Amino acid sequence: MSCHLPSKSKEREKGKYKESINIALAGNPNVGKSVIFNQLTGLSQTIGNWPGKTVEKMEGYLDFLGYHFNIVDLPGIYSLSTFSLEEIVSRAFIVSEEVDLIINVIDATNLERNLFFTFQLLELKIPMILAVNQMDILHKRNIDIDFKKLEEIFKLPVLPIVAVHGVGVHQLLEEAIEMVVYRHPHSHHIEGELESGRHHSHHYYRKEHIHEKVKSWSSLKTEFKFPDLTEILSFGKEVEDKIGKLISKIKSSNQITNSHYPARFLAIKLLEDDEEIKNLFTINENSTNIIQNATRYREEIEEIHGEDISTVISSEIYNNIKKVVDQVIILKPEKQLKKKTLAEKLDHLTTHSILGYVILILVILGIYMFTFSTGNFFGGLLDNAYGIWSERIYSIFGDNSLGVKILWDGGMGGIIGAVGGVLVYVIPFFLIIEILQDSGYLPRAAFLMDRIMHTLGVHGKTIIPMILGFGCNVPACAGCRIMETEREKKISIVLTSLIPCAATLTVVMGLVGRYLGLQWVIVLFIINFSVILIVGKILNKTMPGTCTELIMEMHEYRAPNFKVILKQTWLRSKEFIFKALPIIIILGILLEILLIFNALEPVNLVLSPISVFWLGLPAATGIFLIYGILRKELTLVLLALFAENLQTPLLVLLSPIQMVVFSLVTMLYIPCFATIIIIAKQTNWKYALKIAVMEIAIALLIGGIINWGYLFFSNL
Amino acid sequence: MSVNAGSKAKRRLANLGIVPGVQIIKKRSAPLRGPLEIIVRGTSLVIGRGLASKIIVRCQEQCELI
Repeated sequence: MSCHLPSKSKEREKGKYKESINIALAGNPNVGKSVIFNQLTGLSQTIGNWPGKTVEKMEGYLDFLGYHFNIVDLPGIYSLSTFSLEEIVSRAFIVSEEVDLIINVIDATNLERNLFFTFQLLELKIPMILAVNQMDILHKRNIDIDFKKLEEIFKLPVLPIVAVHGVGVHQLLEEAIEMVVYRHPHSHHIEGELESGRHHSHHYYRKEHIHEKVKSWSSLKTEFKFPDLTEILSFGKEVEDKIGKLISKIKSSNQITNSHYPARFLAIKLLEDDEEIKNLFTINENSTNIIQNATRYREEIEEIHGEDISTVISSEIYNNIKKVVDQVIILKPEKQLKKKTLAEKLDHLTTHSILGYVILILVILGIYMFTFSTGNFFGGLLDNAYGIWSERIYSIFGDNSLGVKILWDGGMGGIIGAVGGVLVYVIPFFLIIEILQDSGYLPRAAFLMDRIMHTLGVHGKTIIPMILGFGCNVPACAGCRIMETEREKKISIVLTSLIPCAATLTVVMGLVGRYLGLQWVIVLFIINFSVILIVGKILNKTMPGTCTELIMEMHEYRAPNFKVILKQTWLRSKEFIFKALPIIIILGILLEILLIFNALEPVNLVLSPISVFWLGLPAATGIFLIYGILRKELTLVLLALFAENLQTPLLVLLSPIQMVVFSLVTMLYIPCFATIIIIAKQTNWKYALKIAVMEIAIALLIGGIINWGYLFFSNL
Repeated sequence: MSVNAGSKAKRRLANLGIVPGVQIIKKRSAPLRGPLEIIVRGTSLVIGRGLASKIIVRCQEQCELI
């Protein structure tokens, strides 16, 4: 494929931009939408939330060929119904005045299912470009797509792209300018350009021309004449009849003048009994009449077809899609007998009924080892550097002055604590997440674990954040947003926050593993997993609603693209550094300062009924556990320092049973501070605090039982 | 094939292309009566056992009971 990309410098010299084009990227999950988004917007993007919703909103911008593009990457969805929050958010956004044009990203290897969403988007009659991604993979399978034909059918621009390599990505924007400014889509074919004619580079030089043409920018969207697609969008006669009747009823009532949806879309959705759309019709006689009519029509259709309405409509859309696909798919003759590819072999192995589970455990151990070792390595380096610099600072300014204590011990100590204790674990871990997600392993784990997860009130997908939780709870809890319903999301967050993360492993290994042996580490993990199992079962019983069934696409394995992975890792890290890290640093500094002035000494006293009496631990551990909220591994670090100060070995300071209790409490007692913040962002503060309180209660209960049980039995 | 499930589940399945008349190929199933992996419209879908058992199919060849 030939493409003409303007050089970077050319983009920059354009200088001032007045005109802006607002683009929404829409498509199914996993079609490479975010890769395109990254290619286009680079590092300008911001991650936020949709107002009032816990759905992530990705925004970015770029200046290109004299225009300012605002791009919103919508969540990946399969349809424009209202099954999930993502669908509701996307639908409302697309029809809002904030969108000039939709780029619909389509997976070439999964044309039929992707086009289902496209066909729904077409009903919204908003300027649209189709970006058919992963053409390289399709070509490898000896299949091609007739793009000329596709454009003739859709009467809209359809572009082949390979997002991971950036092929065709910027042409999307050229096409966008063409479409929004000239308002005549797919002109290059009508003009009779050659088939390879993707060089409409001459448009670059028509920029001034474009500016003259565009007088009233804001009226563009309304002026745009959407092509007539009746041929491909028509349903069967019965359905089309009813839609026609509903449209005329909707049009004759001026009830919905404030809605941006085309009448036909409203009619279809009314037939489908869409609650949100029904709510658009403010209740008066006229509109209840429309809704009643829709209900009657629906029942008639369902009776004729003997199927419910969603099945009837979806079938007809899929029939229309099939007709389109049959026209554009070009099968090339197979070159040789098909041999099992590496991807297929991996697929077989990782879903195997025995080996699959072995691999799953290995993957979890791998996440653990990698996060744990890189985190400890860089954390150690930082701590060493901090130690060396501390000595220098002390030798210059003395180690007793107030300034040194507050600025260096408190301020710098807090920063080092946050960076060396949290960041060094989080960044390598982001890398792992991206590799796992990019390769396509995670759905296999969900497939294997679905049955087991159902006993906890959630389906297999929850295992994905849980696996990630072994590395670090913070992004793992954020990852719970993949769950479809609020109920599943809430349960998943609790379960994920109970997974012992790499920092917790440091404590358990450093204390119990080192002094008591690995078998006790395993016992602790078994206790931890039992807690997860019991909590899940209780939540499943007590939370209203029932568990939905797993429905998930299983994509083929693909070789991870390291450029994309590194970029994504950096973006995630950047978000963490700017959004979460400052809070962690500030709190860290506060705690450091409080500790320096022994202001927390009373805390030990206050906590002693719990720490000393109930858990049977030394009084000083109270404060360590408070510190552990900030960074779990601090509990061990402080304990070791404490023992050093007293010049007693840890093994003398703590009895074996105290070690077990201390480690167990550290594992369970509370999600770390950063996790609590993330949970609050995903749900709300009330829920986050509830989880924290619940986990404290669980930790104290089990810790106490072990302590008192041991006392009881040893006295027998 | 036809689907004998709640309307919400039906809608989700229909959106993904599981509608009457479509060809479904069973690829594999997870152990312990876990979910099924099926091929519909050229791509793989994983469907929980509870829901899968509500999808009624007419066998064409190499029938295997779910």
